[in-house]
Amino acid sequence: MSEVQLRVHDLWKTFNPGLFEAAVEVLKGLSVEVEKGEIFGFLGPNGAGKTTTIKAVTGLVIPDRGEISVGGHPHDSMQAKRLMGFMAESPYLYHYLNGREYLCFSAQLLGIESAEIDDRVESTLAQVSMTDRADRKMRTFSKGMLQRIALGQALLGEPELLILDEPMSGLDPIGRRDVRDIILAQKERGVTVFFSSHIIPDVETVCDRVATVIGGTVRGIGAVRDLIAREVESYEVTFTGLDPRVVTTPVTSAHQGSDAAWARVDAAHRDSLIRELSDRGARLVGLTPVRSSLEDLLVRQYEEGAAS
Amino acid sequence: MRAIRIIAVNTFREALRDKVLYLFLGFAVLLMASSKVFGILTVGDQDKIIKDLGLAGIQFFLMLIAVMMSVILISREIDSKTVYFILAKPVRRWQFLLGKYTGLMATVLVNLVLMTLVLVFFVWLYGGGFDPRLFLATGMIGVEMAVLVAFATLFSVLTKPILGSVFTLAVFVVGHLSQDLWLLTRHLPGSLGRTIVSVLYYVVPNLERFNLKTEVVHQLPIPAGAVGLAVVYGCFFTALVLVLACFRFEGKDLQ
Repeated sequence: MSEVQLRVHDLWKTFNPGLFEAAVEVLKGLSVEVEKGEIFGFLGPNGAGKTTTIKAVTGLVIPDRGEISVGGHPHDSMQAKRLMGFMAESPYLYHYLNGREYLCFSAQLLGIESAEIDDRVESTLAQVSMTDRADRKMRTFSKGMLQRIALGQALLGEPELLILDEPMSGLDPIGRRDVRDIILAQKERGVTVFFSSHIIPDVETVCDRVATVIGGTVRGIGAVRDLIAREVESYEVTFTGLDPRVVTTPVTSAHQGSDAAWARVDAAHRDSLIRELSDRGARLVGLTPVRSSLEDLLVRQYEEGAAS
Repeated sequence: MRAIRIIAVNTFREALRDKVLYLFLGFAVLLMASSKVFGILTVGDQDKIIKDLGLAGIQFFLMLIAVMMSVILISREIDSKTVYFILAKPVRRWQFLLGKYTGLMATVLVNLVLMTLVLVFFVWLYGGGFDPRLFLATGMIGVEMAVLVAFATLFSVLTKPILGSVFTLAVFVVGHLSQDLWLLTRHLPGSLGRTIVSVLYYVVPNLERFNLKTEVVHQLPIPAGAVGLAVVYGCFFTALVLVLACFRFEGKDLQ
C-alpha cells in the first residue's frame, strides 16, 4: 500500500470580510490524499478553493474545521514544515534583495548549516537557470525570473513535499517547459509534488493524479487517464456502402468523405448504429471512442455544480 | 532565537536600503542650522538650548521612524505576500513578529546612537563640555521608542497601514498627556466621560515617565529609583503589547 504524504480531511473554511459584508464559504468539507512520490494536480476554476486549501496546508490560513497532515505530522508542526517547500501564486519577493541574497536568507530560515549555504544556493540557482542573473536586484526581475527564484526557494530545503500554487501562470512557453522539467526532475528524486493550475495541458502532461475542485469540494479524483476514460461519451464510426444521411440511428454529426462516411454517435446509440450498418449491408471500417478532455470534465462539473 | 535573528537582520537591511538612516543626517543638518539661529538670538546658555532642541529632535525623528517604518515594514510583508514564503518555512508566527520588532528596534537604536553622538558633539562645540547625562536622556527615549514600536507592531497586525500609523501617533500624543488625563478624570462632571478618560489613562502608557529632558537640560538631580522604575514600566508595557500582537497574529488569516 502506498504511503500518504499529504492528507487533507473534511476541510471547512469561511471568510468573514467585515461587519457589513457577507461571509464567504470557500471550503466545504474538502478532502484529498496525495501519495508519496506522485505529482498531484489540483484543478479548478477561480474561486473553487484551490489556493485556500494550499494556504491551509502551509499554515497561512487557519481552517474552521478539518485535519491536515504532512508526512504523518500535523501540518502546522515544525516537523511538517521541514518537509515542505512552497511557492505562492504570483510571487512578490523582496525588491531590495538580489536573487542570491534572497536564497541565502531563505536557506538561513530553513536552518541549513552556514558552511553548506553557499553550495546549496549555487546548485539551486543552477537548477532554476538563474546563476547568471542571481546578482541582480529582484526589482529588475521579469515575472518569469521571479517565478524561478520563488521556485528556487521552495527547492532549497530539499523538501519531500513540493507545494506549488499556479507555478506556470504568466510564464511564456519556454518558462512553462522549464518549470515542467523541474517538476519532473523532482519526481525523479522521489519528491511529492502538489500543484494547482488553470493550465490544463500542463496538468495532463505531468500529473500522475488529479483532483478537480469546484465550489470548495473535490468533484473528481484519480489518474488523468482514468478520469477521462470514464468519460467516453461518444464514438466516431467510419463505414462504407451507406450514405450517412439515410442512417436512422440518431447521430450527432455525419459526413460523407471521398472514400468513406463518418458519423459521431452517442455511446448509448453505438450498438444500434453498428447493427443498422450490418443490416443494411454497409461495411464498418473503424470505431473510435471520443474521450472528453480534462477541460470538458471540469466545465461539465462546474455546470453541474452551478445547476445544483 | 535563530529565526528571530535572521528576520531581524533582514528587516534592518530593508530599513537601511529604504534609506532610513538619512533621517539621522536630516537631524544633524537641522541641529546645525538651529544652533546657528539660536546662537544669534540668545546670549549665553546656548548649550542648554542645543540640548533641549537636540533631545526634542531625537524624540521627534525616532517617533517618525517608529510610527511610519514599523507599520509600513510589517504591513508590507503581509500585503506583498512576502510573509507567505517565511511562514511556510519552519518559522513560528510569533518568531516572525518578534523578528520584525527586533529589526525595527535595531533601526531605531542605530539612529538613536548616531543622533546622540551628533548632539554630544554640538553641545561640546558650543561650550557645554561633555555631558554624560545626555546618554541617560537619550537612553530613556530609546525605552519610550521600544514601547511605541511595540504598539506600532500591534496596530500593524490589527489594521491597515494608515490607520496603524494614526493609532501609533495617537498613543504617542495621549501617552505624553497622561498626567493631564489623570487631572481630567478628577474634574470631568459626567461619569461616562470620566470612565472613558480613565480607561485611556490606564490603557495608554504614561510616556512622560521616560522624559528626562528638563532634568538633563537644567542639571536637576535624577533619582536612580525613578529611572529604574521607568525602565521596568517600559519593559512591562512593551512585553504586554507584543504578547497581544503575537496572540492576534497567531489567529490571523493571511489572504
